[in-house]
Amino acid sequence: MKRVPLLSLIAVACIQVNDEREETGQSLDTSEETGSETGTETGNTTPRPPWANPLEAADLDPAADVVHIELEAAPFVHTVNGVEIQGWAYNGQVPGPTIRVPKGAKLVVDLSNKLPDPTTIHWHGAHVPWSMDGVTWLQDAIAPGTSFRYEFELNQAAGTFWYHPHFDTARQVDLGLYGVLIIEDPAEPAVDFEAIAVLDSHGEFESENPEDMNHGLEGAFLDWTVNGLTDPILSLPKGKTGRLRIVNASNTGYTQLQWPLMRQIGSDQGLLSQLSTPEKIVLSPGDRADFEILVNENSALNLLPYSLNGGEAFGPTNRLASIEVSTGSEVASTLDWPFLSLDSSVDPGTTDILWTFTGDPRTGQWEMNGETFPDVSIPELELNQAAIIEIRNMSATEHPFHLHGHAFEILSMNGVAPAQAQFEDTINIPIRGTLRARLLATNPGDWMAHCHILTHAEGGMMTVLRIGATE
Amino acid sequence: MVGSALACGGDATDQTALDSGNPPPKETAQPDTEAPLLPDSFGVSVTVTLDGIPVEKAVVIQGGSPDHWLSGADGTVAIEIDTTLGGDLWVHASHPDARISARQIRKNDGEPLVIALERFATQDNLAYTFQHPGTPDINENTSYCSHCHRSMVADWYKSPHRTSASNPVVQDVYAGTALALTTESECNAVDGNWWMGLNPGTTDSLAKCYTGNGALPAYNSDCGVNSSCDGVATNTGACANCHAPGIDGELGGRDLHEATGIAYDYGVHCDVCHKVESVDSTGEPGVGGKLNILRPPEPGSATFDWKPLTFGPYHDVANPRMGSVYRDHFLGAEFCQACHEYQSTLAPVGSAVDATRWPTGLPIQSTFSEWADGPYSPGAPCQSCHMPPDPEAGNTVDVQFDEVFWGLAAGWWRPAGSVRKHAWYGPRQPEERMLEMAAALSVESSVSGGELQVAVTVTNAGAGHAIPTGEAMRSLVLAVAAECEGTALMATGGDAIPDFGGALMQKSSNEDWTLWPGAAVGQVIRVGVSTGQWHDYPGVGAFAEMSPTEKGMPVTSVKGWSSITAVNGDQVTLDQPLPAGDFAILGEASWPQEGSPSQALSSSPGFAFARVMVAPDGSRHVHHSAAVDIASDNRIMPQASWTSHHQFQSPCESPTVRAVLVHRAYPLDLARERGWTLNDSVMVEVER
Repeated sequence: MKRVPLLSLIAVACIQVNDEREETGQSLDTSEETGSETGTETGNTTPRPPWANPLEAADLDPAADVVHIELEAAPFVHTVNGVEIQGWAYNGQVPGPTIRVPKGAKLVVDLSNKLPDPTTIHWHGAHVPWSMDGVTWLQDAIAPGTSFRYEFELNQAAGTFWYHPHFDTARQVDLGLYGVLIIEDPAEPAVDFEAIAVLDSHGEFESENPEDMNHGLEGAFLDWTVNGLTDPILSLPKGKTGRLRIVNASNTGYTQLQWPLMRQIGSDQGLLSQLSTPEKIVLSPGDRADFEILVNENSALNLLPYSLNGGEAFGPTNRLASIEVSTGSEVASTLDWPFLSLDSSVDPGTTDILWTFTGDPRTGQWEMNGETFPDVSIPELELNQAAIIEIRNMSATEHPFHLHGHAFEILSMNGVAPAQAQFEDTINIPIRGTLRARLLATNPGDWMAHCHILTHAEGGMMTVLRIGATE
Repeated sequence: MVGSALACGGDATDQTALDSGNPPPKETAQPDTEAPLLPDSFGVSVTVTLDGIPVEKAVVIQGGSPDHWLSGADGTVAIEIDTTLGGDLWVHASHPDARISARQIRKNDGEPLVIALERFATQDNLAYTFQHPGTPDINENTSYCSHCHRSMVADWYKSPHRTSASNPVVQDVYAGTALALTTESECNAVDGNWWMGLNPGTTDSLAKCYTGNGALPAYNSDCGVNSSCDGVATNTGACANCHAPGIDGELGGRDLHEATGIAYDYGVHCDVCHKVESVDSTGEPGVGGKLNILRPPEPGSATFDWKPLTFGPYHDVANPRMGSVYRDHFLGAEFCQACHEYQSTLAPVGSAVDATRWPTGLPIQSTFSEWADGPYSPGAPCQSCHMPPDPEAGNTVDVQFDEVFWGLAAGWWRPAGSVRKHAWYGPRQPEERMLEMAAALSVESSVSGGELQVAVTVTNAGAGHAIPTGEAMRSLVLAVAAECEGTALMATGGDAIPDFGGALMQKSSNEDWTLWPGAAVGQVIRVGVSTGQWHDYPGVGAFAEMSPTEKGMPVTSVKGWSSITAVNGDQVTLDQPLPAGDFAILGEASWPQEGSPSQALSSSPGFAFARVMVAPDGSRHVHHSAAVDIASDNRIMPQASWTSHHQFQSPCESPTVRAVLVHRAYPLDLARERGWTLNDSVMVEVER
């Protein structure tokens, strides 16, 4: 495995950060900042790129309650850290187009598969009908040269979600097939600007090899990018208040983010129960988090050393991006976010479903309850049953557990309950960690439940949860 | 730390220094400020020779790199040097028959590189003395492993491997003693013999309490009756092969009492494991059998008597202080099975193991085969759970500490998690939650006609082997209770905790149930019924294939109990009349709690799980040295479950049911006889 050189300029189809989105189309990025050099952490003098959000998808339907998108998945050559990638992309951009949908509206996506292989789209975190979930368990993938229409209503909490293939997932995602899905709620306050950060590290699909000298340690060498950019600068006028939506689209890489102005407002399934101001936050593969940005002073978004192989790690702190205050004299003020303000549900102490993760990077074999997908036992829940799920991680790495089609409430991690109600669809479980979660099984179907380290999922750490009758 | 770490290293460009084992000049690990800047990558041709002849399939690797190459038929291979990895640039050659050697790259001049390997001698050296592992506090120079490998030694120091020989329980079951009983009067109170013997870990004599059962008195006919077996026994079993593998000299079949000094104090330690050249799964357990130890016979230097030789799981360790040779057996379960899989035909004098029932011997340790037969094999070997990654270790020499320059001396930074904790987490490290992660309980209950029906399912949800596993003295005890608004309910039937859940005394139905010598107020008399049926549990090993009768676990049910409210001599007064039944036991009443002293719970509502070994006189749940048979083995295999059923009188419609599963390290009666501390470790508890 060859490490990709750090801090080279890249050219990926992106746009500048939009000010108040379509209303003005004004970029908040200032050209004089784009020639800045990298920080002293690296000693590299390569000019740093300006921050750019992924291009947004065009809505082809004028109706307010329908968003109609066309996506074409096709081979696409792009560069990452100066290295040319023979990748794949949606609509010729990596990340793919950001899809923005009002809460309660219908989303129609016509996917044309111009790839040499079958593919699907999984709407990660969205409560879609099972037939629209993009999985190939009892369903077919979209063959090369054919199209498929995804069509569903998004009646769920607004928030930050993402979409990606669920067929040959590790390879297709690593090649560049992923994008952000945003569900908007008019009840949430308007922001001065919105920044989207899709975090990824290219080349991870090739990194798992138990025979190599690191004994198959995934995520051993990761060079992180933000929307395909290395260490970009987000230049903003002083006094503005915005929203930062972060998606970890990496196959294997964990990010431990440290940011002096961190004000977390949302997680996987929309707004939190209350504002959270942690010193640092871990986003595992598939995870999302939303933050309120108060633009008052320069700040750096740093990556602290963290490994899927056990958590807090030895290693350097790297800057992922920075916010630089360009003009203005106002003081940014906080917004009145309609937080959930819900108490956590009480754990009844019973368990309806128990899954145990096992496996080791030195063998590359990953299992749930000693079973390798698709040869799995399928637990069943009745429709609308409130069930308690317990997951134990007895393996030698951490695992982000992801359940399709639903949100689940965290009851406890290692016996510690969250201070207030917390809803997720992807949650990291540390080594020898025990997650207890409450699931209201409202969505019928055969739902995939798996580790979102994509090589682990494809290695077998995936199972099926049957809810009600399959459509 | 910089200076001390550098003292471990050497300059491989000076082949003499490499071969001598001498500490290298300190300056060799300093950055070469005079060297020209090198490109990010460049190619080098490397030729590897073994005893002067080009050798094929030698691993060639740059220090710290995940990439490697294999030498061709002419011993040569073209490799790519990555200067972005950090630290000194060294190219290593690794061959299974030779110590790893390396050459430093200082410039990109296109000159081919030759790395000369020499075969190591394969004759084990009986004159070698195992190196001191050091401790977190003993680490002043490289004669202690802890001098450089601080994190790993700190982990190992807290592990049961360190105390494998010095553990007084091990010494007690070996010699048939009760070391905790330190006076003759205490010894007499348990009908022991106050004899002279050896002070464990020394060559000194010591008066000790000999209580009978133990490996030495069991296996030798000429001792243990009128005097101790210490120093006179000729059949010492295979105990020391695993419990004190570091006894210098001849390996295998040694007397555990020969373990003194390092062999006693540090048990299974660094230099023993990393002298394992190969593993032979067909041999006798431990060193001298399955573990093929190779102690170097080549003379060393003035600093070291013998030329260093260390087997380990990396190809890029050429520090001459280590004399490293790559072996992959450190990554797999076969290494562990050398001690954690063991059948024995040894039996107490005058008895024999039934060769028809146990053709390969009595299964003493079967943890490896339990794993191999289970769903976690081969994907999750032992190391996966018991040696988890240590992401905070920069490498095995802790380059995360201080400003140690990465290179030949201290090694290179390895990706987080490459280094595995040498902690061997298990039930004796409760903070690591291994017991808690292993088992799950689920409770189903219903009330009908004033009777509460309860089903409790115990699942081995997390362990890759049976629970319990390892030493057969271990057991799991499941206790079940019910109450209505704080009032405990009386059981009216259902599964009972078997005898190995602990009984102070047992009487049959034709004995007087009012006389209980030694009983105390607060204790309970429990009445049970023998149903004449046998539990058809899933079983472990041979027991998985047996008929219910052969599985040997009679179905007994709870009939009721009474508490002792007064004692007059042997006569007890009870709080309520005892029901009729087939047998009664004297037991204790406390609900099991984390860390609380284990109680005699036999015949109360619940169940228990163990490999029950049987002595020639029929005594059950004995130590394996006293055993000739196994009566039952209902331990729970990975992902398997067992459901017990219980009935209680219930005056309310929604009673509360409690169930707790605890782990016990020893049989209750044996622990009390020997004075061993025996506390319950709660694995899981449910209230519904």
